[in-house]
Amino acid sequence: MVLEATMICIDNSEWMRNGDYAPSRFQAQADAVNLICGAKTQSNPENTVGVLTMAGKGVRVLVTPTSDLGKILACMHGLEIGGEMNLAAGIQVAQLALKHRQNKKQQQRIIVFAGSPVMHDKKALEMIGKKLKKNSVALDIVNFGEDDEGKTEKLEALLAAVNNNDTSHIVHVPAGPTALSDVLISTPIFTGDGEGGSGFAASAAAAAAGGVSGFEFGVDPNLDPELALALRVSMEEERARQEAAAKQAAEEASKEEKGGEEQDATMTERASEGASEADNKKIEIADDDDTSLQQALAMSMDEPTSSQGLQDTEMSDAAAEDPELALALQLSVQDSTKDSSSQADVSKLLADQSFVSSILASLPGVDPNDPSVKEVLASMQNQSEPQQKQDEDKAPKKEEEK
Amino acid sequence: MSAAESANAIQRNQVDLLDFIDWSGVECLNQSSSHSLSNALKQGYREDEGLNLESDADEQLLIYIPFTQVIKLHSIVVMGSEEDGPKTVKLFANREHMGFSNVSDFPPSDTAVLSPDNLKGKPVVLKYVKFQNVRSLTIFIEDNQSGSEITKVQKIALYGSTVETTDMKGLKKIEDH
Repeated sequence: MVLEATMICIDNSEWMRNGDYAPSRFQAQADAVNLICGAKTQSNPENTVGVLTMAGKGVRVLVTPTSDLGKILACMHGLEIGGEMNLAAGIQVAQLALKHRQNKKQQQRIIVFAGSPVMHDKKALEMIGKKLKKNSVALDIVNFGEDDEGKTEKLEALLAAVNNNDTSHIVHVPAGPTALSDVLISTPIFTGDGEGGSGFAASAAAAAAGGVSGFEFGVDPNLDPELALALRVSMEEERARQEAAAKQAAEEASKEEKGGEEQDATMTERASEGASEADNKKIEIADDDDTSLQQALAMSMDEPTSSQGLQDTEMSDAAAEDPELALALQLSVQDSTKDSSSQADVSKLLADQSFVSSILASLPGVDPNDPSVKEVLASMQNQSEPQQKQDEDKAPKKEEEK
Repeated sequence: MSAAESANAIQRNQVDLLDFIDWSGVECLNQSSSHSLSNALKQGYREDEGLNLESDADEQLLIYIPFTQVIKLHSIVVMGSEEDGPKTVKLFANREHMGFSNVSDFPPSDTAVLSPDNLKGKPVVLKYVKFQNVRSLTIFIEDNQSGSEITKVQKIALYGSTVETTDMKGLKKIEDH
């Protein structure tokens, strides 16, 4: 959200006709410029951006720093390719344009697209860099296109001369299948010195990173933000529940040393916090230590087969990869009537020692071979049979109540 | 002006203008990030000899100080070391947002060439008539004593008086009869 005035220096020299960046170097550059302008104006409405060309007949300022995005995009049309890039003059004119910005409170920044060979020598570039630093102008360099001897070195030297506290950056973009704009999105040029990109940049980054496979949940946040938000929220709820279950399991393992009174209370809170239909479970938790712990553990681990039908299509993609996640997902769509029957199912599940030990093994700090853990597992197994009977007793009672 | 006279002038009714500096607008061009302007201006920091304002890319510094109210500037104190301390100091009154490129565009309100005495703390008395109505002050340090790459300033203090001095305590409510 830094208040900034930016001048973008475009290379429209003959070297930009080359097609090694799809569709042509110049077009890739234009796309990148459009994206940058959008990102800058979005991150702070008072930001201004200006554009100048460095090649052709001479350095020409197309638009002075303005916050009007339309004007900037319009001036990118009808640009002609030709001539040679004059980097030094370009940067100096950009500095002058920034000096006469209307809002003196804005920080000054120049973004240079260096696609053709650099004619100037290192010393001259270093002098320019020093002058920029003296006047507290930051410089971002996009090194793409031609890579002749010394160009990278010269640009690095220029950056070193300008750089003050990491406000200036250089990005080297090699030719390849990924577009120039996509590569730039993840760089500090877009994200603004690591302060966290604007929503624009972030969603654009998601688009780029996702590629053909789509976005995080198979839904475009731009197309359907509510759905994307709902999916993200439910995902986080499941993770929270999973963590709660993991914590309960870990604490169960160390329960014998502690004596579970206090844990009961906290676990009760945790267990009820996740579930939306908490009431029934609370009643059942109120019992004896072991049973309550088991039930809490049970609630967050559900047999996959029992509520398969409840899975939504959207969630199935994410769930398919991780069976534990699938369990957690099912929990979130479970309704209250299912509870009592699932309790019985889950007890059986707990009785399956291999399953439980595999869960415990995946928890950090819990060693299934640890004797105390084994003791607990054994005790759980013993209790699971009387527990089942208890559950079945309770289940019909609850059905009667409803 | 002798040293005694200038010292007296300070004692008379000139105050340290530190309280009237508008800190939100203070800027310094070409300062080193680790040795910033606060080391030279702020109370406590400026007394510490170890904390200096240092220049970065070359030996020049451009300091912009706005004030919260209009002041008259009488004299300044610039302290530094004998080798790296500033030599030529140009002062511009009421010029906003100057850059290194336009320091030569208009004549300064006053120029001071600092002697080693000044660098030890002797105040430089300025052309008072030029600083009668000052809203902001720009200090341009052009070079240093030995011509080295980095200029180091230990303390900058400004002495003067304010123009509007309404003593709020003196205001009394008119009593009804």
